[in-house]
Amino acid sequence: MTTLLDYAIPGVPFGCVFALMAVGLVLTYKASGVFNLAFGAQAFVSSLAFVSFVEDGWPRWLAGVVSIVVLGPALGLVLDRVLFRRVRTASPLVKLVPALGLLIALPQVALIVAGSTPDIAPPSLVFDAQRVYLHVASVPISGLELSVTAATVAVVVALVGVFRFTPIGLEMRAVVESPRMTELAGVNAGVVSAVAWVLSSCLAGLAGVLLAPLYAQLDPQNYTVLLVWGIAAAVVARFASLPVALLAGIGLGIGQQVLAGYLPAGILATGLRPSLPFFVLLAFLPFARQRQVDDPLAGCDPPPTALVGEATGYRAANLLARPSGDGTSQPVAGWHRALTARVRRSAGGAGAGGAGAGGAGAGGAGAGGAGSPVHGAVDRLTSRPTLVVAWGIGGLAVLSALTWVPNVWLVTMTQGIAFAVIFVSLTLLTGMSGQISLCQASFAGLGGFVAGQLASHFGTSVLVGMVLGGAVAAVLGVIVALPTLRLAGLPLALATLAFALLADNMLFPNSWVGNGATGVTVPRPELGPVSFNGSHAFFVLALVVLALVAAVVRAVGQGRMGRLLAAMRGSELASVSTGIDVHRLRVVAFALSAGLAGVGGALYGSLEGSLSPDAFNYQFSLVFLVVAAIVGLGSVSGAVVAGLVFAALQTEVATFPARFSGILPVVFGLATLSYTRHPEGVVDFLGGGVLRFLARRRRGDRSDGAPDGSGTDVVPAAGWAPAVGAPAATSPAGASGGVAVGGSAGADGGSRP
Amino acid sequence: MTEPVVATPAGSGPIVTRSAGSGPTVTRSAGSGPTVTRSAGSGPEAEELLVARGISKAFGGVVALSELDFEVAPGEAVGIVGPNGAGKTTLFNCLLGVVPPDTGTVTFEGRRIDRLPVWRRSRLGIGRTFQRVELFHGMTVADHLLVAVQARSSGRLHLSDLLRRGGPGEEELAAVASMLALLGLEDVADRLVDGLSLGHARLVELGRALMGSPRLLMLDEPSSGLDVHETERLAGILADVRRRQGTAVVLVEHDLELVEEVVDRLCVLDFGRMIAVGSVDDVLANTEVRRAYLGTGA
Repeated sequence: MTTLLDYAIPGVPFGCVFALMAVGLVLTYKASGVFNLAFGAQAFVSSLAFVSFVEDGWPRWLAGVVSIVVLGPALGLVLDRVLFRRVRTASPLVKLVPALGLLIALPQVALIVAGSTPDIAPPSLVFDAQRVYLHVASVPISGLELSVTAATVAVVVALVGVFRFTPIGLEMRAVVESPRMTELAGVNAGVVSAVAWVLSSCLAGLAGVLLAPLYAQLDPQNYTVLLVWGIAAAVVARFASLPVALLAGIGLGIGQQVLAGYLPAGILATGLRPSLPFFVLLAFLPFARQRQVDDPLAGCDPPPTALVGEATGYRAANLLARPSGDGTSQPVAGWHRALTARVRRSAGGAGAGGAGAGGAGAGGAGAGGAGSPVHGAVDRLTSRPTLVVAWGIGGLAVLSALTWVPNVWLVTMTQGIAFAVIFVSLTLLTGMSGQISLCQASFAGLGGFVAGQLASHFGTSVLVGMVLGGAVAAVLGVIVALPTLRLAGLPLALATLAFALLADNMLFPNSWVGNGATGVTVPRPELGPVSFNGSHAFFVLALVVLALVAAVVRAVGQGRMGRLLAAMRGSELASVSTGIDVHRLRVVAFALSAGLAGVGGALYGSLEGSLSPDAFNYQFSLVFLVVAAIVGLGSVSGAVVAGLVFAALQTEVATFPARFSGILPVVFGLATLSYTRHPEGVVDFLGGGVLRFLARRRRGDRSDGAPDGSGTDVVPAAGWAPAVGAPAATSPAGASGGVAVGGSAGADGGSRP
Repeated sequence: MTEPVVATPAGSGPIVTRSAGSGPTVTRSAGSGPTVTRSAGSGPEAEELLVARGISKAFGGVVALSELDFEVAPGEAVGIVGPNGAGKTTLFNCLLGVVPPDTGTVTFEGRRIDRLPVWRRSRLGIGRTFQRVELFHGMTVADHLLVAVQARSSGRLHLSDLLRRGGPGEEELAAVASMLALLGLEDVADRLVDGLSLGHARLVELGRALMGSPRLLMLDEPSSGLDVHETERLAGILADVRRRQGTAVVLVEHDLELVEEVVDRLCVLDFGRMIAVGSVDDVLANTEVRRAYLGTGA
């Protein structure tokens, strides 16, 4: 019994640390609807500031006050203003990506600003960290443990008080349920949300400063690990109850210490302890309460389109909105033209219908970009000249790579192609079917390890290994999908994150999988007499693999399965009520996506010659999702660009001075600023820019030549039953409304791979 | 019945005539639908399309449904009315499998379906709409209808998509086109549903439910949020569908004018019990029902 207490009591301060994280997560979730994964990063920023100030000779109390009460809340306010306020009612993905981006970027920003990590060991805020102040059941309690425990309990009690008994607490709870309703009741939702962020940022600062002495050196990694435990405790609290979050955090802290004490040494002890959050998440996520994304008023009064993140977020990934085009442009899919003709036949009076639709379309586009002109614009994006240009650029790039491009950049391009394969797998899973995966790197890693192990143990060709690696990764995809069938949105994302941690700690360190830190050798493949040892040959091979993978994903996207996946993304409840077996569809989507990621991982491993678990640890899963979402999850072309850009940036950053070695995450973090404004992704946004330019030019052409607007030979009609002479597609509202949305569908809708 | 009643006071008035599952037995002949003579609660079940027996559901301490019996004959239109919180939507969800009932059985065309998942019930021929519109965000109106056809067309794996370009077939297109025409949605067929008016959105939902040619159509407050003209149009479409396909309809609705126009038989639900069943006129003329439901004895 004494032994158990010996393990359990030191677990309490650890638990309090987890609890602080959990309480911060629950607080922002309750008050702003955003699951703030950047909480760990905010804590790191405050702690770095605190330690730096102390190093500069500030008194500890002053450094503490400035970093906790001034810096932390200021950061929170900025984040709320610039990022999170816009996404409060958006889809889970649109809420998650900025938080993930910040989690990656904030610590690096802070390190760049600070110049370097402080040299001194992090000091304690109040007590002397090492000194033993009291004994509980003969277990010594140090100043660090005492301060953490006391502060945690005090903070939680105070916060519960604020939420339960103060007007601002009530308003905070109301705002997240329905900002519109709350504002109708005369409450300024913006102010309430800001208050919540200030509170939670104070908490993050406090957590960061209190925890700093826990480690010999400040390292953002430590805060991310703590955050995962905090997430587990927040899930146990069902994202709702602050007291339960406290208790759950303490419970987890005790649990992990006791586990560590009793488990035999080996993979179980080293692997199981960090994986504990996975089991907790899996056990409790099904009971977690998910915030309603939609507005309670939606049933009687459709929500306004002003909620930017929401409106464009869904359409961002829309692969299936077919153009209604007619006339000279090439429709994305022939079937829609057939349907148009059929409808026109059965409807008769096409002229009147078309004109009416044109008007309605322009109106819709003006309000939220949902009108037919969008699809007219898509037509133009995929028209023959645009495609010729796109293919031309691609062809030139390939030709350059094979002739004059230096080897460094040839390898970079090949890396980009391997990453593109992995990003395409995200296009399928997250873009098309709306399932958020934070373990895509684990799938990729497994594919690479299988290819390498098969090659080194059985002499299997890496080409065969690539296929088998993909197959094994697909099986892993099924294994991830099955226990998470009932999860969606945020809980699914967290479950996959926990799974990635499990893979990192329990699966990949094994000698028969990732072989720990040593890694696995993955040779270059050979196909009969053809060897792919040379950079050029391997580049061609990678291109072929990417083309095959892209063809698969495009075929899925354009076919029946793609339509069902889009339906599932749109509404699971409506899907099952329409007769779609959503569970099987999800398993298939996960398997296919994991398989493709596995192929990408094997390709990457073979390019590099070896693969270690660090190359595809859980952080890469986060980075992959952030990069893919920012560049564009809505299209295969977006994924390809994402892969190339990702590789190119990495190569470029390697040449920077040491202080700016962390600049890459900062770029991704800053890019999330653009993401909250254009969740359709950079590629599709730029595509929209091209459209805007084309539309403007065509308007100019027409006003020169045909001022009466009868130029339907150049402009597809807007309406469903396209009327001769319906000019709505060229109205300014239509053209500008089509920019954000049309690009997203168009980039993928064309016949590009 | 000319008195327009759109909203009801929730849970108001004393509740009378509580005899679960055995309301007044009525012979009725109603407007557009096929005429059925039935004795509620004890009819020959083999002839019924949908039979629910002894459905109970409690949420914590709140009893939403209590030993409820309910049946629908082929081609029949049944209305369910009751104050807010009477258990109408819970009954819906129990019949459709969205919420598992605590007790009771559900049979569709003589086959037990209460253990089947929602999508299987849908494929058997039960279409539904939602009180709060549930559309596939980010899809066009035409895609909604096409999804509904393709979801039911085959249960095989979707490998065929990978081998050929998976455009829809001629029959599928024809079905979508004729449904667009029936609903008058041609003008918005290629619009994303996110920007549609509520009236259009409800029609899209109805169209999606009708695409599989269901034998039973369950509508949860389809007129809520619609104006008078849109409601009239909805009633017209329902009558049309029933005439052409003989589809049975279960209609949960507060708009009594729409109920009168559409249904053959009316059930009144209150506190999870069926307090009256019969022809529309008889049930609405019943002063006890009027008091329970409308809060007026007049």
